[in-house]
Amino acid sequence: MIQHFIKTVIIFLFLTLFQLTVIPLISIYNVVPDLLLILVVIYSLKYGQLKGTVFGFLVGLFFDLFSGGLLGSAMFSKTLAGFVAGYFHKEEFEEIFSNLILFISILFISALIDSLFYAILGSAEVELNFILLIFTNGVFPAVYTALFGLAYSLFVRKK
Amino acid sequence: MELFLRKLFNKTKEYIVLVILLLISLILLPQNSNHQVKKIRSYAFASFTFLLNISLSIDELFSDSDELANQRKLNAELMLQLNQMREYALENKEIKSLLDFKTSATSELISSTIVAKNFSNIQGNFIINSGWSDGILKSMPVINNNGLVGIVTEVEEDFSIIRTLHNTSFRIAGTIQRGSIDGVVYWNGKNLVMHNIPTTADIDRGDRVVTSTLSTILPPSIPIGLVVKKESNISGILSNIIIKPFADVASVKNIFILKEITSKQIDSLELNLLKD
Repeated sequence: MIQHFIKTVIIFLFLTLFQLTVIPLISIYNVVPDLLLILVVIYSLKYGQLKGTVFGFLVGLFFDLFSGGLLGSAMFSKTLAGFVAGYFHKEEFEEIFSNLILFISILFISALIDSLFYAILGSAEVELNFILLIFTNGVFPAVYTALFGLAYSLFVRKK
Repeated sequence: MELFLRKLFNKTKEYIVLVILLLISLILLPQNSNHQVKKIRSYAFASFTFLLNISLSIDELFSDSDELANQRKLNAELMLQLNQMREYALENKEIKSLLDFKTSATSELISSTIVAKNFSNIQGNFIINSGWSDGILKSMPVINNNGLVGIVTEVEEDFSIIRTLHNTSFRIAGTIQRGSIDGVVYWNGKNLVMHNIPTTADIDRGDRVVTSTLSTILPPSIPIGLVVKKESNISGILSNIIIKPFADVASVKNIFILKEITSKQIDSLELNLLKD
């Protein structure tokens, strides 16, 4: 149990560091893939909705604290993403992971919810129309995150 | 009854936890300016900088030479001076002589490197490898050799957080240099915009926008960007001016912090007035 906790914390810290230092180098028009979201989705699919929701909340909390973002925005969005991904939880995680289309679809839906709520809660004074907001701050980051997830799952499969 | 409640809880516990956690997040959102929340944030940030220090020491192996850093600093200083010259050229002789007196002092620049970026069209923040040990204070303007990049919002011993132009919480007083038209410049999630400017104001595409003398946060005449578009609102009386920033915030790596806080100057002036 403790070993599992320490392992999760180390992975989280490594990914946070990676997300803030290396991932910006591959940004496209300010859009970057969200590694922490991939972690939340995988955790939620593996350990269930309840644990996934709480994990999403904690990941969001620490990401808000470390990145200097608005405290509460990533907390909210990642909690919701963890909850949504948890709907697809199965005892046999490999079953979901081996179905590439299903895994990428879950990742895309969770990423869409996460990035959209992060954008909406990030500022109440954003003056973009809703359709544009969905595309620029929801769909594009979600597609990029899903593609990154695809690359990850293909890499893991090859191994 | 107890059994029923227990069953109900077991069936709905995921939803109950979700609602509680979402409520906590929503309660925390308006508390961001709360002193205690700020304190927690600063502790968390300080502990995160420990990790950043490790990654930075690896990154330093591939960093630029000192000479290049000095050249960049010189570029930024020249950019500020050039902008000041432009300002002088646009003003009449009488005001120019007054301004000469006010702005004869040049600001000191602290060079720094961005070590982490929170990329977002809504909450753009950078972390830099300089802190209060280098003389950085909250509210100091951050520039590169092209223009304004952001403002310092959080300071630790060796690291600071910058709120960039790509952050919807970033608002500054700006001036369109040619016609001396003042307005509030902010990021609307897609563009840098100067809000509610009278449609009749003489503004052309390509006009330079700089920080205003009315700003209580930033010193005047720091270049912000160029006017690229004028969009009238529904009534047609007021317009929003779309600005293209001089600094490419997305690709910026080396930055400079202007060792100057306008609000302190204003504070001291106000104190002097009180003394009289």
